[in-house]
Amino acid sequence: MAIVEVRDLYKSFSRGAERIDVLMDLNLDVQEEEFVALMGPSGSGKTTLLNLIAGLDGPTAGTITIGDQEISSLSESELARWRTRNVGFVFQFYNLLPVLTAYENVELPLLLLPMSKAERRRQVTNALEIVNLADRMSHRPGQLSGGQCQRVGIARAIVTDPTIIVADEPTGALDSKSAEAALDLLNLLRSELGKTIMMVTHDPAAARSAQRIVHLEKGRLVGADTLNTLRPAHAE
Amino acid sequence: MNPDMMMGQSGPDLSLMQTAIYGGAIMFGAIVIATVMACFTLPIFFGAMTLLSLGLRVLQNAPDPVGKSSKIGGLVFRSLRRNLLRTALTYVALFVLTWMLTGIYGMVKFLGDFTAEKEDSQLVIMSEKFSIPSQMPPGYANQLRGVIETLPPSNRPRPLSDEERVKKGVAPSPAGPIAAQELRELFGDDLPTDPANPKRRRFEQLAAEGVKENLMTWSFVGASLDPTKFTQENNLFLFALDPDAVTSGMMSEQGLNKEDLGEEGWTEMLRVINLVKEDKRNIVIGEDRLKIINKKVGDEVKFYSTNYKDITFECKIVGAFPAGSRLAGGAVMRYDYLLAKLDDYQKTEGAAHPQADRCLNLAWVRMPNKTSYQALAAKVNEPGKFNAPAAKMETFSAVVGSFLEPYKDIFWGMKFIIMPAIVCIMCLVIGITITIGVRERWTEMAVMKVLGFQPWQIMGMIVSEAMLIGVFGGMLSTWFLYFTPLLIRKGTKAVGLKFAFFDNFTMPWEIVIYGPILGIAVGLIGSALPSWNARKVKVSEVFAQVA
Repeated sequence: MAIVEVRDLYKSFSRGAERIDVLMDLNLDVQEEEFVALMGPSGSGKTTLLNLIAGLDGPTAGTITIGDQEISSLSESELARWRTRNVGFVFQFYNLLPVLTAYENVELPLLLLPMSKAERRRQVTNALEIVNLADRMSHRPGQLSGGQCQRVGIARAIVTDPTIIVADEPTGALDSKSAEAALDLLNLLRSELGKTIMMVTHDPAAARSAQRIVHLEKGRLVGADTLNTLRPAHAE
Repeated sequence: MNPDMMMGQSGPDLSLMQTAIYGGAIMFGAIVIATVMACFTLPIFFGAMTLLSLGLRVLQNAPDPVGKSSKIGGLVFRSLRRNLLRTALTYVALFVLTWMLTGIYGMVKFLGDFTAEKEDSQLVIMSEKFSIPSQMPPGYANQLRGVIETLPPSNRPRPLSDEERVKKGVAPSPAGPIAAQELRELFGDDLPTDPANPKRRRFEQLAAEGVKENLMTWSFVGASLDPTKFTQENNLFLFALDPDAVTSGMMSEQGLNKEDLGEEGWTEMLRVINLVKEDKRNIVIGEDRLKIINKKVGDEVKFYSTNYKDITFECKIVGAFPAGSRLAGGAVMRYDYLLAKLDDYQKTEGAAHPQADRCLNLAWVRMPNKTSYQALAAKVNEPGKFNAPAAKMETFSAVVGSFLEPYKDIFWGMKFIIMPAIVCIMCLVIGITITIGVRERWTEMAVMKVLGFQPWQIMGMIVSEAMLIGVFGGMLSTWFLYFTPLLIRKGTKAVGLKFAFFDNFTMPWEIVIYGPILGIAVGLIGSALPSWNARKVKVSEVFAQVA
């Protein structure tokens, strides 16, 4: 069953009088519990597509349906509310709030939900245990390594038990060992927790962690590889 | 208020350059003091912030929504703690600017109150109409008493009631007990006109006391302890007056009252004045002046008048006005001693002293209301009265108004240019600080939006940061400005801070409220633009730039 349905999607930006088409006539389905990697050259529109699916931006035309919700028609406030519950976002540079501890960073999105303190504590602890950082709860981002920060970022993304996790270059700022650990973690989330994951990456090795790779070029889908049909070129 | 300012109609003749230099120096001094005070209050500011932050932390354990809101509120404090130097500098700037603004507001309001026409009790001043300094014949005092006696009962000065006497520490009236109710009944328009009527007789008795208690004369005597030279170290400026003016409370404005001197100080003042009443050669000198002329209480002094040529006074110092008080640099002697010396001169020289007919400088009358003042002024201005030389009658506020007339443009500029300019600068200071903070946290704002924070929540957090600094800057600044003079006044047991020629300068109490409100307002205005920008942050654009 498709949990993400993108239909006839157009996205363009205006720069002065000039109109720049970023995404054109794009259709995409992502199944529940699927791990999809979006690849393509710079400017191909992969981050834009990810932002649109995460409800961070609105399409120029077309529809995006996540679960049962058609999000392209939601207002900014409605989108914000929707995101809290349904989207977990993993950033390339972690983007943790430096003044908060790991626990508080993970708890942050839960503050926006009607949830008791005990429930919050349970969920935050659970999320940090999943990413294997239960012993670093009271550490601030400055006291953690890059890999640990990214794991806190992943814990923050899953703490609300979202419908979909979107990750924008999650391994881009990590060393190979940490990157591998982060990708393993994402795979674990998919396999153990049944999460649907969409990841933008330039790294073919990282993309191979996904079940499917979607290629974008000049704002259009140009092809897709499944795990079994990955060509050697992508592994280079 | 110092009577010497009433010698003339206008203030000192300062050139624009001098005024600018004085103004600049005062401004600079005020900024330095305010900055020192701001630095001094920094621990209080950060202490209060920490306490509030701890309070929020405690509240985080409370059930939602309080607990949850406290967590989000805690973010505001943490953001302010990120860059302590910037937060401290912004606080100091706001403190100093509020200080300046409130200082100007307090001064303008103080002067405004002085010059405002009052409806109730009026202090009115009779002085020479066309000559500066005012010099009138001594007979004008009695003439004025006669004029007052012709006024209808409702317009006559009233003696203090027993209740007011107790409050002010004034001795009981020789006219017996006086109830406030009795004063209201007798000093009305329906009083019987028959002189034999007991009510009328009682009224006349009280009205005579009323004139005694509410009329005083001022004569100014300049003197030197050395007949051959006049220096800073040997000169003396004396007010020649009736000592009863002190005990009846007519010199309250000079700080000679129970409230300013305290119970003990006032009792001592009454003791000293009684000594002056005992012997006309007894005088009281201010402590500051005593130090300068190197004399002490108990010393006998001989001084030579500078404005009453060839008149010499032999006096005994029986008391001192407290240091720091309005009269600390001056002295008080008996008016009848001056008159006696002028009589002696006539006897020995065979001719009246040139100043004998010009020895009354001012006469003060406290009238019960504006109508009574107008009635008295109309009588004084009647043809044939007080015409050699011509005298005029003005309210105290009108005199102050005339004195301040040359400065009215400066006051206007302070009120309508400098004050709004300071508010604008405050908004700008806070705006710049918050803008820098927002720019530094641009990505964090975007992340919070991604996590689901509503635009208004982000905006609210930014505005709260600005308002927090603003409210503390405004509050601590105005509170220090209001309470410091009060404490100094209490500590020195003097008449209070002197401000130009005015006594008892205190900041208006409302600044205690206006300060925090101002802080909130400039916080709101200053953070409007940066918080709006933070609200509108485009997540996709921020991350596109980061990437």
